[in-house]
Amino acid sequence: MSSLFIAGHEFHSRLFTGTGKYASADAMMDSLIASESELVTLSLRRMDLKNQTDNILQPLQQQGIKLLPNTSGARTAKEAVFAAELAREALQTNWVKLEIHPDPRYLMPDGMETLLAAEDLIKKGFVVMPYVHADPVLCKRLEEVGCQCVMPLGSPIGSNMGLASRPFLEIIIEQSTIPVIVDAGIGAPSDASLAMEIGADAVLVNTAMAVAKEPAKMSKAFRLAVEAGRMAYESGLGERRVQAHATSPLTDFLGALS
Amino acid sequence: MNIVLNDMSYEFSGGTLQDLLAHLDKNEQGIAIAINQQVVPKSLWRTTELNEQSQVFIFESIAGG
Repeated sequence: MSSLFIAGHEFHSRLFTGTGKYASADAMMDSLIASESELVTLSLRRMDLKNQTDNILQPLQQQGIKLLPNTSGARTAKEAVFAAELAREALQTNWVKLEIHPDPRYLMPDGMETLLAAEDLIKKGFVVMPYVHADPVLCKRLEEVGCQCVMPLGSPIGSNMGLASRPFLEIIIEQSTIPVIVDAGIGAPSDASLAMEIGADAVLVNTAMAVAKEPAKMSKAFRLAVEAGRMAYESGLGERRVQAHATSPLTDFLGALS
Repeated sequence: MNIVLNDMSYEFSGGTLQDLLAHLDKNEQGIAIAINQQVVPKSLWRTTELNEQSQVFIFESIAGG
């Protein structure tokens, strides 16, 4: 499997993961190690002044995993830029997963605000990874303003509905000259495999791993699925046909029996 | 003196941002601070003095997707 490069950084794994929804920090670490993921997302929130929060940073850093803060919670471009600037200080990284979803029910990303924020953040020196609808026009615009990749959704965040947006993902992949990472909605390893088979450069999975009965085992399943899908893509899948095409030569050596 | 910390009134004996963090007894890893809507880089925490009614927001990194 070939390496993936984003903003000059080499990734050996094409499976990116989130850290949300795990039952415990230990379960999260076991799962991330099993996934062999080299990039994981984190969020920011106002500090809880009364309680000490679980320190998940230290084990992640010890493992050498690259951290990708998101701007979750931002409803406008202005809020997202502020969140990115805070995250850069908090985690000492200029990488940011830009996500702006004003609607809490479907968490649909706001494309217009995302484009505005992306332009601003790129001017400020960020490596911007925008989470967007599977909108080929928007993805092209984001590429033009200098995003280092795009992250179109498969289906709503946490829905486990897989690649509901497949036809549009295929257009994005065909047109894009920057990496395409399918994010959100990937509910089963087969969804991840399919994304890789149609040519996605990577996938980002969180919920499906975190809520599994055995998260570490599920993460390994996703790792294998991503590798299988990518290898299938790289080796070239056969063409689809309506009619059968024999795999054995159709000789008439049994003709003597008739 | 009184500052506004994460939208709540907070009584603080005075000093710098670094003093405030020490007072809160919080792990400093993964933290970002903004005063009056401006992010304060970590390198300036030691020298940034808080004033009466300073609007301070402290953020922390948590799990998320």
